[in-house]
Amino acid sequence: MKTQFRTAMLLIASLFFFALIPFNSKAQERRLQLDLNYAVGIPGNSFKNDAIGNTSPRGWTANLLYNITPHISVGVGTGFQDFYQKYPRSVYKVNGGDVSAVLSNSITTVPILAQFQYRFLPGKTVQPYVGIGAGGNFVMFDQYLGEFENSKSSFKFAARPEVGVFVPFRKDGPAGIHLFGAYNYMPYKMDGVENLNNWGAGIGIKFPLGS
Amino acid sequence: MKKIVIPVLMAAGILAMTSCKKDPVKNLEGDEGQIYVTNHADSINFASFKTFSITDSVSVIQNNRFLGKELSASNAAYIQAVKDQLTQRGYTLVSKDQNPDLGVTVSQVYNTSTGVIDYGAYYGGYDPFYWGYGGYGYYYPSYYGTYSVTEGAMSIDVFDLKDANESKSIKDVWSGLLRGTGVFSVSAANNGVQALFAQSSYFKAN
Repeated sequence: MKTQFRTAMLLIASLFFFALIPFNSKAQERRLQLDLNYAVGIPGNSFKNDAIGNTSPRGWTANLLYNITPHISVGVGTGFQDFYQKYPRSVYKVNGGDVSAVLSNSITTVPILAQFQYRFLPGKTVQPYVGIGAGGNFVMFDQYLGEFENSKSSFKFAARPEVGVFVPFRKDGPAGIHLFGAYNYMPYKMDGVENLNNWGAGIGIKFPLGS
Repeated sequence: MKKIVIPVLMAAGILAMTSCKKDPVKNLEGDEGQIYVTNHADSINFASFKTFSITDSVSVIQNNRFLGKELSASNAAYIQAVKDQLTQRGYTLVSKDQNPDLGVTVSQVYNTSTGVIDYGAYYGGYDPFYWGYGGYGYYYPSYYGTYSVTEGAMSIDVFDLKDANESKSIKDVWSGLLRGTGVFSVSAANNGVQALFAQSSYFKAN
Protein backbone atom coordinates (compact mmCIF):
# COMPACT_ATOMS: atom_id res chain seq x y z
CA MET A 1 0.00 0.00 0.00
CA LYS A 2 2.82 2.39 0.89
CA THR A 3 4.55 1.57 -2.38
CA GLN A 4 1.39 2.28 -4.34
CA PHE A 5 0.90 5.60 -2.55
CA ARG A 6 4.53 6.52 -3.17
CA THR A 7 4.15 5.67 -6.85
CA ALA A 8 1.08 7.85 -7.14
CA MET A 9 2.79 10.73 -5.35
CA LEU A 10 5.88 10.33 -7.52
CA LEU A 11 3.70 10.46 -10.58
CA ILE A 12 1.93 13.61 -9.45
CA ALA A 13 5.23 15.22 -8.39
CA SER A 14 6.77 14.53 -11.79
CA LEU A 15 3.71 16.03 -13.45
CA PHE A 16 4.15 19.16 -11.34
CA PHE A 17 7.71 19.40 -12.58
CA PHE A 18 6.70 19.32 -16.22
CA ALA A 19 3.72 21.55 -15.68
CA LEU A 20 5.88 24.24 -14.13
CA ILE A 21 8.04 24.61 -17.21
CA PRO A 22 7.77 28.35 -17.95
CA PHE A 23 5.60 29.54 -20.78
CA ASN A 24 3.82 32.77 -21.55
CA SER A 25 0.65 31.99 -23.40
CA LYS A 26 -2.81 31.95 -21.83
CA ALA A 27 -4.98 28.97 -21.11
CA GLN A 28 -7.28 29.24 -24.08
CA GLU A 29 -4.29 29.48 -26.44
CA ARG A 30 -2.97 26.23 -25.10
CA ARG A 31 -5.74 24.23 -26.63
CA LEU A 32 -4.63 20.67 -26.02
CA GLN A 33 -4.50 19.82 -22.35
CA LEU A 34 -3.90 16.73 -20.32
CA ASP A 35 -5.02 16.07 -16.77
CA LEU A 36 -3.73 13.13 -14.80
CA ASN A 37 -5.15 12.28 -11.43
CA TYR A 38 -4.92 9.96 -8.49
CA ALA A 39 -8.39 8.48 -7.91
CA VAL A 40 -10.36 6.50 -5.37
CA GLY A 41 -13.45 4.42 -6.12
CA ILE A 42 -16.31 3.82 -3.68
CA PRO A 43 -18.58 0.92 -4.71
CA GLY A 44 -22.29 1.67 -5.04
CA ASN A 45 -24.93 -0.44 -3.29
CA SER A 46 -25.32 -3.13 -5.94
CA PHE A 47 -21.58 -3.50 -6.51
CA LYS A 48 -21.10 -3.62 -2.74
CA ASN A 49 -23.75 -6.30 -2.20
CA ASP A 50 -22.78 -8.47 -5.16
CA ALA A 51 -18.99 -8.46 -5.14
CA ILE A 52 -16.88 -5.86 -3.36
CA GLY A 53 -17.68 -3.37 -0.63
CA ASN A 54 -14.21 -2.01 0.03
CA THR A 55 -13.26 1.44 -1.17
CA SER A 56 -10.48 1.24 -3.73
CA PRO A 57 -7.51 3.55 -3.13
CA ARG A 58 -5.74 2.16 -6.19
CA GLY A 59 -6.64 4.16 -9.24
CA TRP A 60 -5.99 6.98 -11.60
CA THR A 61 -7.74 8.86 -14.36
CA ALA A 62 -6.41 10.78 -17.35
CA ASN A 63 -8.16 13.07 -19.79
CA LEU A 64 -6.82 14.54 -23.02
CA LEU A 65 -9.02 17.50 -23.86
CA TYR A 66 -9.12 20.00 -26.67
CA ASN A 67 -10.45 23.47 -25.86
CA ILE A 68 -12.94 24.33 -28.59
CA THR A 69 -13.88 27.54 -26.80
CA PRO A 70 -12.88 29.03 -23.45
CA HIS A 71 -15.92 27.25 -21.99
CA ILE A 72 -16.08 23.97 -23.88
CA SER A 73 -13.61 21.10 -24.22
CA VAL A 74 -13.92 17.73 -25.89
CA GLY A 75 -11.58 14.79 -25.92
CA VAL A 76 -10.93 11.35 -24.54
CA GLY A 77 -10.62 10.05 -21.03
CA THR A 78 -9.39 6.85 -19.50
CA GLY A 79 -8.61 5.49 -16.07
CA PHE A 80 -7.83 2.52 -13.92
CA GLN A 81 -9.43 1.38 -10.71
CA ASP A 82 -8.61 -1.81 -8.85
CA PHE A 83 -11.26 -3.10 -6.43
CA TYR A 84 -10.45 -5.95 -4.09
CA GLN A 85 -12.02 -7.79 -1.18
CA LYS A 86 -11.20 -10.97 0.68
CA TYR A 87 -13.98 -12.85 2.45
CA PRO A 88 -13.43 -15.19 5.42
CA ARG A 89 -13.42 -18.94 4.82
CA SER A 90 -16.86 -20.26 4.03
CA VAL A 91 -18.44 -23.24 2.25
CA TYR A 92 -19.68 -22.70 -1.31
CA LYS A 93 -21.65 -24.97 -3.63
CA VAL A 94 -19.58 -25.47 -6.79
CA ASN A 95 -20.58 -27.92 -9.52
CA GLY A 96 -22.65 -29.97 -7.09
CA GLY A 97 -19.84 -30.26 -4.57
CA ASP A 98 -19.04 -28.32 -1.42
CA VAL A 99 -15.93 -26.17 -1.40
CA SER A 100 -14.54 -24.59 1.73
CA ALA A 101 -12.43 -21.62 0.72
CA VAL A 102 -11.36 -18.08 1.42
CA LEU A 103 -12.95 -16.18 -1.46
CA SER A 104 -11.25 -13.14 -2.98
CA ASN A 105 -12.82 -10.87 -5.57
CA SER A 106 -10.57 -8.64 -7.63
CA ILE A 107 -12.17 -6.36 -10.20
CA THR A 108 -10.25 -3.93 -12.38
CA THR A 109 -12.02 -1.37 -14.55
CA VAL A 110 -10.37 0.51 -17.39
CA PRO A 111 -12.88 2.82 -19.07
CA ILE A 112 -12.14 4.57 -22.36
CA LEU A 113 -14.53 7.44 -22.82
CA ALA A 114 -15.38 10.27 -25.18
CA GLN A 115 -15.39 13.36 -22.97
CA PHE A 116 -17.20 16.68 -22.92
CA GLN A 117 -16.55 19.43 -20.38
CA TYR A 118 -18.10 22.82 -19.75
CA ARG A 119 -16.12 25.36 -17.69
CA PHE A 120 -18.13 28.04 -15.92
CA LEU A 121 -15.46 30.63 -15.13
CA PRO A 122 -12.55 30.40 -17.55
CA GLY A 123 -9.65 32.64 -16.61
CA LYS A 124 -10.69 32.89 -12.95
CA THR A 125 -8.75 31.73 -9.91
CA VAL A 126 -11.13 28.81 -9.35
CA GLN A 127 -12.76 27.34 -12.41
CA PRO A 128 -15.60 24.91 -11.75
CA TYR A 129 -16.73 22.62 -14.50
CA VAL A 130 -19.18 19.85 -15.30
CA GLY A 131 -18.46 17.02 -17.66
CA ILE A 132 -19.77 13.81 -19.08
CA GLY A 133 -17.96 10.86 -20.60
CA ALA A 134 -19.35 7.82 -22.38
CA GLY A 135 -17.73 4.84 -24.02
CA GLY A 136 -16.43 1.38 -23.25
CA ASN A 137 -15.08 -0.29 -20.17
CA PHE A 138 -12.56 -3.12 -20.00
CA VAL A 139 -13.42 -5.22 -16.96
CA MET A 140 -11.12 -7.86 -15.51
CA PHE A 141 -12.94 -9.98 -12.91
CA ASP A 142 -10.61 -12.37 -11.06
CA GLN A 143 -12.33 -14.55 -8.51
CA TYR A 144 -10.15 -16.71 -6.29
CA LEU A 145 -11.14 -19.73 -4.25
CA GLY A 146 -8.10 -19.85 -2.01
CA GLU A 147 -5.16 -19.49 -4.37
CA PHE A 148 -7.09 -20.84 -7.36
CA GLU A 149 -8.09 -18.25 -9.88
CA ASN A 150 -11.06 -18.00 -12.18
CA SER A 151 -10.47 -15.07 -14.47
CA LYS A 152 -12.84 -13.36 -16.87
CA SER A 153 -12.42 -10.31 -19.06
CA SER A 154 -15.15 -8.39 -20.80
CA PHE A 155 -15.84 -5.11 -22.54
CA LYS A 156 -18.93 -3.21 -21.38
CA PHE A 157 -20.53 0.21 -21.62
CA ALA A 158 -19.50 2.98 -19.22
CA ALA A 159 -20.52 6.57 -18.57
CA ARG A 160 -19.05 9.09 -16.19
CA PRO A 161 -20.86 12.32 -15.21
CA GLU A 162 -18.38 14.49 -13.41
CA VAL A 163 -18.03 17.78 -11.53
CA GLY A 164 -14.79 19.41 -10.57
CA VAL A 165 -12.67 22.48 -10.26
CA PHE A 166 -9.48 23.63 -11.89
CA VAL A 167 -7.23 25.94 -9.91
CA PRO A 168 -4.44 27.39 -12.07
CA PHE A 169 -1.02 27.88 -10.52
CA ARG A 170 -1.06 31.46 -11.65
CA LYS A 171 -3.64 33.82 -13.11
CA ASP A 172 -4.58 32.87 -16.66
CA GLY A 173 -2.13 29.99 -16.52
CA PRO A 174 -3.02 26.78 -18.33
CA ALA A 175 -1.50 24.48 -15.69
CA GLY A 176 -2.87 23.86 -12.25
CA ILE A 177 -4.49 21.60 -9.72
CA HIS A 178 -7.48 19.54 -10.73
CA LEU A 179 -10.07 18.15 -8.30
CA PHE A 180 -13.06 16.10 -9.29
CA GLY A 181 -15.90 13.91 -8.15
CA ALA A 182 -17.68 11.51 -10.50
CA TYR A 183 -20.23 8.77 -10.70
CA ASN A 184 -18.94 5.82 -12.71
CA TYR A 185 -21.94 4.16 -14.33
CA MET A 186 -20.74 0.67 -15.28
CA PRO A 187 -23.34 -1.99 -16.15
CA TYR A 188 -21.97 -5.53 -15.93
CA LYS A 189 -24.63 -8.28 -15.56
CA MET A 190 -22.30 -11.26 -15.28
CA ASP A 191 -21.38 -13.81 -12.61
CA GLY A 192 -24.20 -12.65 -10.35
CA VAL A 193 -22.92 -9.07 -10.39
CA GLU A 194 -25.50 -6.62 -11.69
CA ASN A 195 -23.26 -3.59 -12.11
CA LEU A 196 -19.96 -2.06 -11.04
CA ASN A 197 -21.34 1.43 -10.44
CA ASN A 198 -19.11 3.42 -8.13
CA TRP A 199 -18.42 6.91 -6.88
CA GLY A 200 -15.06 8.32 -7.83
CA ALA A 201 -13.02 11.24 -6.55
CA GLY A 202 -9.55 12.39 -7.34
CA ILE A 203 -6.87 15.00 -7.35
CA GLY A 204 -4.25 15.67 -9.94
CA ILE A 205 -2.78 18.16 -12.27
CA LYS A 206 -3.74 19.67 -15.57
CA PHE A 207 -1.21 21.03 -18.03
CA PRO A 208 -0.94 21.96 -21.69
CA LEU A 209 0.61 19.82 -24.37
CA GLY A 210 2.47 21.17 -27.37
CA SER A 211 3.54 24.76 -27.96
CA MET B 1 12.40 19.40 -23.24
CA LYS B 2 8.66 19.29 -23.73
CA LYS B 3 9.03 16.53 -26.29
CA ILE B 4 9.86 14.11 -23.53
CA VAL B 5 6.76 14.96 -21.53
CA ILE B 6 4.42 12.55 -23.29
CA PRO B 7 6.78 9.54 -23.24
CA VAL B 8 7.54 10.20 -19.59
CA LEU B 9 3.85 10.43 -18.82
CA MET B 10 3.12 7.25 -20.70
CA ALA B 11 5.88 5.42 -18.87
CA ALA B 12 4.66 6.79 -15.57
CA GLY B 13 1.11 5.73 -16.44
CA ILE B 14 2.17 2.19 -17.26
CA LEU B 15 4.20 2.04 -14.07
CA ALA B 16 1.29 3.29 -12.02
CA MET B 17 -1.11 0.87 -13.69
CA THR B 18 1.01 -2.19 -13.09
CA SER B 19 2.06 -1.27 -9.56
CA CYS B 20 -1.41 -0.37 -8.37
CA LYS B 21 -3.11 -3.72 -8.80
CA LYS B 22 -3.49 -5.74 -5.64
CA ASP B 23 -2.37 -9.36 -5.91
CA PRO B 24 -5.01 -11.50 -4.14
CA VAL B 25 -2.69 -14.52 -3.80
CA LYS B 26 0.03 -12.47 -2.09
CA ASN B 27 -2.62 -11.22 0.30
CA LEU B 28 -3.45 -14.72 1.56
CA GLU B 29 -2.12 -15.75 4.94
CA GLY B 30 -1.55 -19.12 6.60
CA ASP B 31 -3.83 -21.79 5.15
CA GLU B 32 -6.07 -19.30 3.34
CA GLY B 33 -4.77 -20.51 -0.02
CA GLN B 34 -6.02 -24.03 0.61
CA ILE B 35 -9.42 -25.25 -0.52
CA TYR B 36 -11.30 -28.26 0.76
CA VAL B 37 -13.64 -29.97 -1.68
CA THR B 38 -16.17 -32.68 -0.89
CA ASN B 39 -18.54 -34.66 -3.08
CA HIS B 40 -20.88 -37.47 -2.16
CA ALA B 41 -23.52 -39.68 -3.65
CA ASP B 42 -26.95 -38.23 -2.85
CA SER B 43 -28.60 -41.65 -2.87
CA ILE B 44 -26.39 -43.00 -0.11
CA ASN B 45 -27.68 -43.34 3.43
CA PHE B 46 -24.50 -42.93 5.46
CA ALA B 47 -26.27 -44.20 8.58
CA SER B 48 -26.52 -47.64 6.95
CA PHE B 49 -22.77 -48.12 7.50
CA LYS B 50 -21.39 -48.94 10.92
CA THR B 51 -17.75 -49.97 10.50
CA PHE B 52 -14.81 -48.77 8.47
CA SER B 53 -11.24 -49.68 7.66
CA ILE B 54 -8.55 -47.34 6.44
CA THR B 55 -5.37 -48.09 4.52
CA ASP B 56 -2.17 -48.06 6.55
CA SER B 57 -0.23 -45.86 4.13
CA VAL B 58 -0.81 -43.20 1.52
CA SER B 59 -0.84 -43.93 -2.21
CA VAL B 60 1.22 -41.66 -4.42
CA ILE B 61 -0.44 -41.01 -7.76
CA GLN B 62 1.31 -39.07 -10.50
CA ASN B 63 -0.42 -38.36 -13.78
CA ASN B 64 -2.96 -41.06 -12.92
CA ARG B 65 -0.28 -43.68 -12.35
CA PHE B 66 0.26 -45.40 -9.06
CA LEU B 67 3.87 -44.80 -8.00
CA GLY B 68 3.89 -46.50 -4.62
CA LYS B 69 2.95 -46.08 -0.99
CA GLU B 70 4.41 -43.70 1.57
CA LEU B 71 4.01 -43.02 5.24
CA SER B 72 5.55 -39.68 6.12
CA ALA B 73 4.63 -37.78 9.27
CA SER B 74 1.99 -35.79 7.40
CA ASN B 75 0.64 -38.94 5.75
CA ALA B 76 0.26 -40.55 9.15
CA ALA B 77 -1.43 -37.40 10.41
CA TYR B 78 -3.95 -37.58 7.56
CA ILE B 79 -4.75 -41.21 8.30
CA GLN B 80 -5.14 -40.50 12.00
CA ALA B 81 -7.28 -37.43 11.37
CA VAL B 82 -9.66 -39.44 9.18
CA LYS B 83 -9.84 -42.18 11.79
CA ASP B 84 -10.66 -39.60 14.45
CA GLN B 85 -13.35 -37.92 12.39
CA LEU B 86 -15.10 -41.16 11.44
CA THR B 87 -14.94 -42.45 14.98
CA GLN B 88 -16.43 -39.20 16.28
CA ARG B 89 -19.25 -39.67 13.81
CA GLY B 90 -20.17 -43.02 15.23
CA TYR B 91 -18.28 -45.44 12.99
CA THR B 92 -16.19 -48.25 14.41
CA LEU B 93 -12.69 -48.86 13.16
CA VAL B 94 -12.03 -52.49 12.26
CA SER B 95 -9.30 -54.25 10.31
CA LYS B 96 -9.85 -54.89 6.64
CA ASP B 97 -10.22 -58.61 7.41
CA GLN B 98 -13.31 -57.96 9.55
CA ASN B 99 -15.63 -57.12 6.63
CA PRO B 100 -15.77 -53.33 7.11
CA ASP B 101 -18.78 -51.52 5.69
CA LEU B 102 -16.60 -48.70 4.42
CA GLY B 103 -13.09 -48.74 2.97
CA VAL B 104 -11.07 -45.53 3.14
CA THR B 105 -8.03 -44.63 1.05
CA VAL B 106 -5.79 -41.58 1.34
CA SER B 107 -3.76 -40.49 -1.66
CA GLN B 108 -1.22 -37.90 -2.66
CA VAL B 109 -2.09 -36.81 -6.17
CA TYR B 110 0.39 -35.09 -8.47
CA ASN B 111 -1.04 -34.37 -11.85
CA THR B 112 1.16 -32.22 -14.02
CA SER B 113 -1.35 -32.05 -16.85
CA THR B 114 -4.16 -29.56 -16.95
CA GLY B 115 -6.66 -32.26 -17.79
CA VAL B 116 -9.23 -33.79 -15.57
CA ILE B 117 -8.11 -36.58 -13.28
CA ASP B 118 -9.04 -39.94 -14.67
CA TYR B 119 -10.45 -42.02 -11.87
CA GLY B 120 -9.22 -45.20 -13.45
CA ALA B 121 -7.97 -48.48 -12.12
CA TYR B 122 -4.91 -46.88 -10.57
CA TYR B 123 -6.87 -44.37 -8.59
CA GLY B 124 -6.49 -44.90 -4.90
CA GLY B 125 -3.52 -47.17 -5.49
CA TYR B 126 -5.19 -50.13 -3.83
CA ASP B 127 -6.54 -52.84 -6.06
CA PRO B 128 -9.86 -54.47 -5.19
CA PHE B 129 -8.01 -57.49 -3.73
CA TYR B 130 -6.82 -55.24 -0.92
CA TRP B 131 -10.38 -55.02 0.35
CA GLY B 132 -11.06 -58.67 -0.37
CA TYR B 133 -13.18 -58.01 -3.42
CA GLY B 134 -10.93 -59.22 -6.23
CA GLY B 135 -12.61 -59.19 -9.58
CA TYR B 136 -14.71 -56.12 -8.88
CA GLY B 137 -13.81 -52.75 -10.35
CA TYR B 138 -14.05 -49.40 -8.68
CA TYR B 139 -17.09 -47.34 -9.54
CA TYR B 140 -17.11 -43.56 -9.43
CA PRO B 141 -20.37 -41.65 -9.91
CA SER B 142 -20.50 -39.33 -12.91
CA TYR B 143 -20.03 -36.20 -10.85
CA TYR B 144 -16.65 -37.43 -9.77
CA GLY B 145 -13.57 -36.85 -11.85
CA THR B 146 -14.29 -33.19 -12.39
CA TYR B 147 -11.31 -31.93 -10.42
CA SER B 148 -8.62 -30.36 -12.50
CA VAL B 149 -5.52 -30.73 -10.38
CA THR B 150 -2.36 -29.11 -11.65
CA GLU B 151 -0.38 -29.39 -8.46
CA GLY B 152 -0.13 -31.66 -5.48
CA ALA B 153 -3.31 -32.51 -3.65
CA MET B 154 -4.43 -34.87 -0.93
CA SER B 155 -7.42 -37.02 -1.72
CA ILE B 156 -9.54 -39.07 0.65
CA ASP B 157 -11.98 -41.58 -0.82
CA VAL B 158 -14.56 -43.62 1.03
CA PHE B 159 -15.88 -46.77 -0.67
CA ASP B 160 -18.98 -48.82 -0.04
CA LEU B 161 -17.72 -52.33 0.72
CA LYS B 162 -20.95 -53.49 2.39
CA ASP B 163 -22.82 -53.53 -0.91
CA ALA B 164 -19.90 -54.53 -3.13
CA ASN B 165 -21.10 -58.10 -3.60
CA GLU B 166 -24.57 -56.97 -4.55
CA SER B 167 -23.47 -54.24 -6.97
CA LYS B 168 -20.41 -56.18 -8.18
CA SER B 169 -18.41 -52.97 -7.84
CA ILE B 170 -16.69 -50.94 -5.15
CA LYS B 171 -18.59 -47.69 -5.20
CA ASP B 172 -17.01 -44.41 -4.12
CA VAL B 173 -19.60 -42.78 -1.85
CA TRP B 174 -17.65 -39.79 -0.53
CA SER B 175 -14.61 -37.94 -1.70
CA GLY B 176 -12.59 -35.21 -0.05
CA LEU B 177 -9.86 -33.24 -1.76
CA LEU B 178 -7.40 -30.79 -0.21
CA ARG B 179 -5.61 -28.46 -2.58
CA GLY B 180 -3.25 -25.57 -2.20
CA THR B 181 0.09 -24.59 -0.79
CA GLY B 182 1.03 -26.49 2.35
CA VAL B 183 -1.45 -29.38 2.16
CA PHE B 184 1.39 -31.89 2.72
CA SER B 185 1.83 -30.93 6.34
CA VAL B 186 0.67 -32.18 9.71
CA SER B 187 -1.25 -28.98 10.48
CA ALA B 188 -3.02 -29.13 7.11
CA ALA B 189 -3.94 -32.75 7.84
CA ASN B 190 -5.59 -31.87 11.11
CA ASN B 191 -7.29 -28.65 10.03
CA GLY B 192 -8.13 -29.76 6.51
CA VAL B 193 -9.65 -33.12 7.39
CA GLN B 194 -11.65 -31.49 10.14
CA ALA B 195 -12.96 -28.95 7.61
CA LEU B 196 -13.85 -31.69 5.10
CA PHE B 197 -15.99 -33.49 7.63
CA ALA B 198 -17.41 -30.30 9.09
CA GLN B 199 -18.90 -29.49 5.69
CA SER B 200 -20.26 -33.06 5.40
CA SER B 201 -22.82 -33.07 8.19
CA TYR B 202 -24.73 -35.90 6.45
CA PHE B 203 -21.74 -38.23 6.97
CA LYS B 204 -22.59 -39.94 10.28
CA ALA B 205 -23.50 -43.38 11.54
CA ASN B 206 -26.63 -42.32 13.39
